[in-house]
Parts: sequence; C-alpha cells; structure tokens
Amino acid sequence: MYSAFGIVNSTGKRIWVDGLEVYRPIGAFSFMGRYRVIDFPISNMSNSGIDRIQVYVGKNPRSLTDHLGTGRHYNINSKRGRLHVLFSANTDEHDIYNTDVSSYLENMEYIERMHNPYVVIAPGYMIYTTDYSELIDNHVKSGADITMMYHSVDNAKDTYLNCNILNLNKQKGVLSIEQNNGSAKSRAISMDTYVMKKELFIELVQKAKNTSSLYTLADIINDECSERDVHGVAHHGFFATITDFRSYYDANLSLIDFKTAIDLFHDDWPIYTKTNDSCPTQYFETASVKNSIVSNGCLIEGTVEHSIIGRGVMVKKGAVVRNSIVLANSIIGANTHVENQVVDKRAQIQHVKEVISAPEKPGYIKRGDVI
Amino acid sequence: MKQNSMLAMILAGGRGSRLHDLTNKMAKPAVAYGGKYRIIDFPLSNCANSGIDVVGVLTQYESVLLNSYVAAGRRWGLDAKDSGVFVLPPREKADANLNVYRGTADSISQNIDFIDSYAPEYVLILSGDHIYKMNYSKMLAEHKANNADATIAVIEVPIKEASRFGIMNTNETGRIVEFEEKPEHPKSNLASMGIYIFNWKQLRKMLVADMKSSDSSHDFGKDIIPALLDNDKTLYAYKFKGYWKDVGTIDSLWEANMDLLNNNNELDLNDPTWKIYTEDVTTLPQYVGPDANIGCAFITQGCIIDGEIKNSVLFTGAKVKSGARVIDSVLMPGAVVESGAMVTRALVADGVKIGKGAVVGSPDSENIALIAKHIKGVE
Repeated sequence: MYSAFGIVNSTGKRIWVDGLEVYRPIGAFSFMGRYRVIDFPISNMSNSGIDRIQVYVGKNPRSLTDHLGTGRHYNINSKRGRLHVLFSANTDEHDIYNTDVSSYLENMEYIERMHNPYVVIAPGYMIYTTDYSELIDNHVKSGADITMMYHSVDNAKDTYLNCNILNLNKQKGVLSIEQNNGSAKSRAISMDTYVMKKELFIELVQKAKNTSSLYTLADIINDECSERDVHGVAHHGFFATITDFRSYYDANLSLIDFKTAIDLFHDDWPIYTKTNDSCPTQYFETASVKNSIVSNGCLIEGTVEHSIIGRGVMVKKGAVVRNSIVLANSIIGANTHVENQVVDKRAQIQHVKEVISAPEKPGYIKRGDVI
Repeated sequence: MKQNSMLAMILAGGRGSRLHDLTNKMAKPAVAYGGKYRIIDFPLSNCANSGIDVVGVLTQYESVLLNSYVAAGRRWGLDAKDSGVFVLPPREKADANLNVYRGTADSISQNIDFIDSYAPEYVLILSGDHIYKMNYSKMLAEHKANNADATIAVIEVPIKEASRFGIMNTNETGRIVEFEEKPEHPKSNLASMGIYIFNWKQLRKMLVADMKSSDSSHDFGKDIIPALLDNDKTLYAYKFKGYWKDVGTIDSLWEANMDLLNNNNELDLNDPTWKIYTEDVTTLPQYVGPDANIGCAFITQGCIIDGEIKNSVLFTGAKVKSGARVIDSVLMPGAVVESGAMVTRALVADGVKIGKGAVVGSPDSENIALIAKHIKGVE
C-alpha cells in the first residue's frame, strides 16, 4: 500500500441541519444511537491502515473534541499514529467565508509537515464504509492526478440537493463538478472524498485561495478538470449524506432494517466509537419494543416502534415512541406519545402528552428542553 | 492524582470447578456476567473507583485469557502514570524454584518483592470472583480509626445459611474475638467476604513465617487470620451492606444474572457515580426486529433479537431468531438461538448455538441446565 495521511473535513457551504447543528458540528451528531457521524470516516481510515489523521473542526468544537479525545478508541497506534484535531481559530462571522480551503490554509504548516506522499480527504458528514487502501492503489495504478469517489443514485431529484454531482465521461473521467439542482433523477453524487499527492493538494489549496476567497476544494478541482486527469471511482454499498434535517432523520431510520445495515457494516470492518461504560439496557415487564435500534444504559417500560433509542434513555410506563430518534439521556415521560420526532439529548417529554408531527415533516425537540 | 497508601492484591487463581464447562478454558474471575462484564471487572472497578492505583492480580489456573484481559489496565482507568494492573502468575526466581501458589496466603508471600517495591502502608486482599460494589476507601478509614492490625469485611447472612461461610464473632465494638470456618452451630451471622486490609509490615512478617511452616495450608482464612487472633492482634469487622454474591455454581451464576431483572436490584449497574468498567467491544447496537417480544430482560449491545425474550439476560452478540423463545435463561456472549427453538431455565455458554426447533431446559427443572455444546436442530 502507498502511504497516505487522512483528512476529515467539516462541512462546506450550503449545508445546515436545523436544530441539531445549533449545538454541535455534524460530525458529532449521534448516529444509530451508539455512534457519532465522524466515527465512520475515521474508522474507514483506521481500518485502511491510515494512522495519521487530521480532523478539521469548525464552530462549536466542544462536543466533537469530547468525543474524539486522544483518538485511542479508533485503534490507531498511539506512538506512530495520531488523531490530530485542528481548529479554525479565525472563523469569519460571515459563514460563507468559512470554507474547507480557509481551514486548510490556516493549518497549512501541519499539512506540509506530513511525511506521507498521498492524502485521502473524506467528509465528516457522510455515512459509508470503504477501503481507502484500495482507492489509493487504484489511484496510483490509473495514473490520475486526482481520484474522487461518487455514488450513483436514482432519486437525485428530491434528495441530495445540497450535494455536488460529478459529470463523468465513459472512461469515468470527471468533466465537471456542480451542485445538484434536482433536474435529473439519475446522478453521480460526489462523496467529497479525494485521493491525490500531498504536493498537488497543497498547490490546489493555494490556487483556490488566489482565485477566490469563497472557493472550496471542489470548486478549484472543477476549474482544473479540463487540465488534469480527475478520475471517478464508484462506491457500492450503503451511502447517506447528513446535509439537512430530513437526510439525518432518514439515514438513521433506514438502518433499522437489518438488511440495509449489513450493506454498511461488515465483520472485518469495525466501526469504532467512544465507550461510555453504560450498563446493558433493562426492559421491564410492560415494555414493548419492535423494529428498533436500542443503545445501552436505557430503562424501557413503554412502547417503542421503528425508532432509534440513544444511550441512557428512559421510556416510562405507557409512553409510546414511534418513527423517532431519541438522543442520549432523554426522558420520554409516562403516558406521552412521541411520533416522527428527533428528540435531542437530555430533553424531557413530561407535561405535553402528545408530540406528533406529520411523517413527511418530522419534528425536533431541543437539547435539554423540558416540555 | 495522588491517592491513598493502599495497594490491592486480587486473588484470581482459582478454577471454580463447580462451574463445570464454563471454566474449562478460563479461570472463574474471567467468566462473563451481567450482559457485558466479566466477574473480575467488579473488584477492578471497585479499586479504580476507590482511588487505589496499583493492583496486583494473582493468576494461576488457565490464566492466558485472564492475564491478557487484566493487563489492559486502561479499561478500568488504571493507567495513570503512577498506576497499573500487574499480572502475577507464579514465577521462577534466582533463589527459588518455580512453585505453584500453594494457597491464598502463599500467592501473596511469593510476591512480597512486588509489594515491597511500592512500600505501601496497607495491603488490601480481594477475591477475583465476587460480584459487588464497595468503596474500599471507607473500609480503610475505619481500619485506621480502629487502629486495627487487620480489618475484615463481613456481610450479614441468614443465620440458617451461616454454616456455609467463615463466620466472625465480634464484641460490641466490632472487634473480632473469634473466627469459625463453616461452623456447625454458628454464633453470629457475620460472614467473611474474603476482603482483608492488613498493615503491610505486620502481614509481611506473618507471611515470611507462614512460608516456612510445614503444617500450614498457606491460606488467609485457615492460617493467617487464626494466627493473628492467637497472637492477640486487633482485628475488626467492617460491616458491608448491599449486594454481594459469590457465584460458585451454575445455579448461583444464573441467579446472580436474574437478580439484575429485579426492579430495585441492589447492584444497580446504572449508577453513574460507581460505574463498572469492562472491555470496550466493537459491535453494532442492539437490533430489535419486527417479530420481537421482549418483557423483563437485560440486553446489551451487539444482540440481534427477533424472538420472544422473557425474564432473561442476553450477553454481547447473542442472537435470538424469529419464532424462538428464551425464558428464564442466560445467553452468554455470542450464543445463538435459531428460529423455533425454545430455551427455558438454561444457561447457554459462549458461542453455543441452539438449532432450529430444538428445546433445551425445562420450566420445572430443579437445576439450571448448562448448555455448553451446540444443540442440533430438529427439522
């Protein structure tokens, strides 16, 4: 395998998840109860033999840095490897200026210092598993300047609207990168995942800066497509982008189906996360749980259907939770009915007995809110 | 953080032969308990939570798994600069041949050099195979306040069961006046928990003498404690209140697991101020399928459940397929119950598969059925 270091970047422009993102970056979002979104790209890198990983953190870093810690839980050698959290101290008050390129520029010294000849860049806001070592091999063999991953979908008209798409020729050469405007069903969604030589990456970052202070890495690569060999590699298996509230909700709930889950999780590809040392979950006599993903440390006395229950959640007697995502340490009070909701961490449903939203427009209960 | 001047030694060399096939390839302290734990997680977590930094673990019987398990001290947070878990199996020395540990006291005697290297004021002796939560620093405070030579933790047991235990007879101040091992006619109901605090200098002297004694069985209960009492040393009982279980048999291991299903179980593994730490296993969260029917259960991550679970404890990665029923049972890590199978009053060992439609255990059995081998399905 060719030696590469990893970069996990935070979101580019246009992306905003209502509610949840007020409190933490997308990488720190709870996913399937047990994980955080960023566990997926970091585990992919770790499993691919990449043990020097830079994680770029934008606003509200607390939750993410808490979770990442020393990075030990990602199975990275603690001497030879390193999970390096890089902050953007100079975030602009006008968010449009806070591009991936601006954070790379701010930390250029640490990029230049890396010994590895290649870099793998992956987003901290997409859920997929893949072996980057194969991708790097593929990149070197193909002789391409840049290799990008994409995922072909046939529902791009009303989903993936905040994502970029790749226009490819028959040989999988990337002709251009543009925003998905929802004009066609079948699209190659850019996975915002790149392999290239470190030197080229540095050159592109400088070039982006010299072109426009709003340019992202994707923008400059789009400009360079005609000059350079930019190659697309298709991804197969589960793929989800967490780019708005709806996609967060849908990605979580879709994985309740175990057949879908085995498209994401593979026995030889562990997804690491930080342990919380919670005890197992206790189901009481009155509990009725079906079609759900349940984390440890919960006390369940009520009914749970087609939902994701985070760590340490209490579902009291007579409560009903349906088609919902309940984040860690929330309390669903006795005889309350919660349907089509995302209940953020430590919220308590106590006094209002019915919190029901329409299935096509799931609701959100704020972090720590007692309602 | 600078901690107290007490070092802990955990006795973890025993086989626990009454656990039959469960301890064929591992020592009893390594046996799984409570969904995600191993029994030795309890004394180790108690040490960590009590501010004890240095823990020696004395291993002997089938120690490969146990040695590597406890050596990862960071699982219990025992990995600070001045902290550690030290695995201490019998070893060859420059001035002594390789000897097995002849008894609980001998295992400490053979590691006097290890303890000396930390020069602790007090040594805490623990069993590696008991399930309980205890703050040893409170016990140490009492030991100091009593100016005792040794302090022994005791728990009140029903008097009719007292003859199964080592019983401490105390005076009104709690000072131990007599120790009786499994007395036929017990005079008190204070059973020794096998938890001792000694002043190291004094214990060291006793151990050196005990090593040379040819008629000693080198056991704390049988030799060291009686010798201390004979020499008029001040021994105090430290009364412990709370959940404590020595799981010696399949029935009692099953029972200890069932205790967790009690709504107000005293062990309370959910207490955030006294967590029990364990190995961090990478698994999926628990999956509850469309056909699942779960009532009264303790279930951990990695389980996939699509059958009926009543009154049962499921360990990491256990699977119960659609149409299967698990009642009053314990499924140990990785156990699989195939569709249509029925498991009642049974303890299914690690990784064992109960085939399609098979029936194991019975609702009116006197003892719990230990299923340690795959059971073929019935077509």
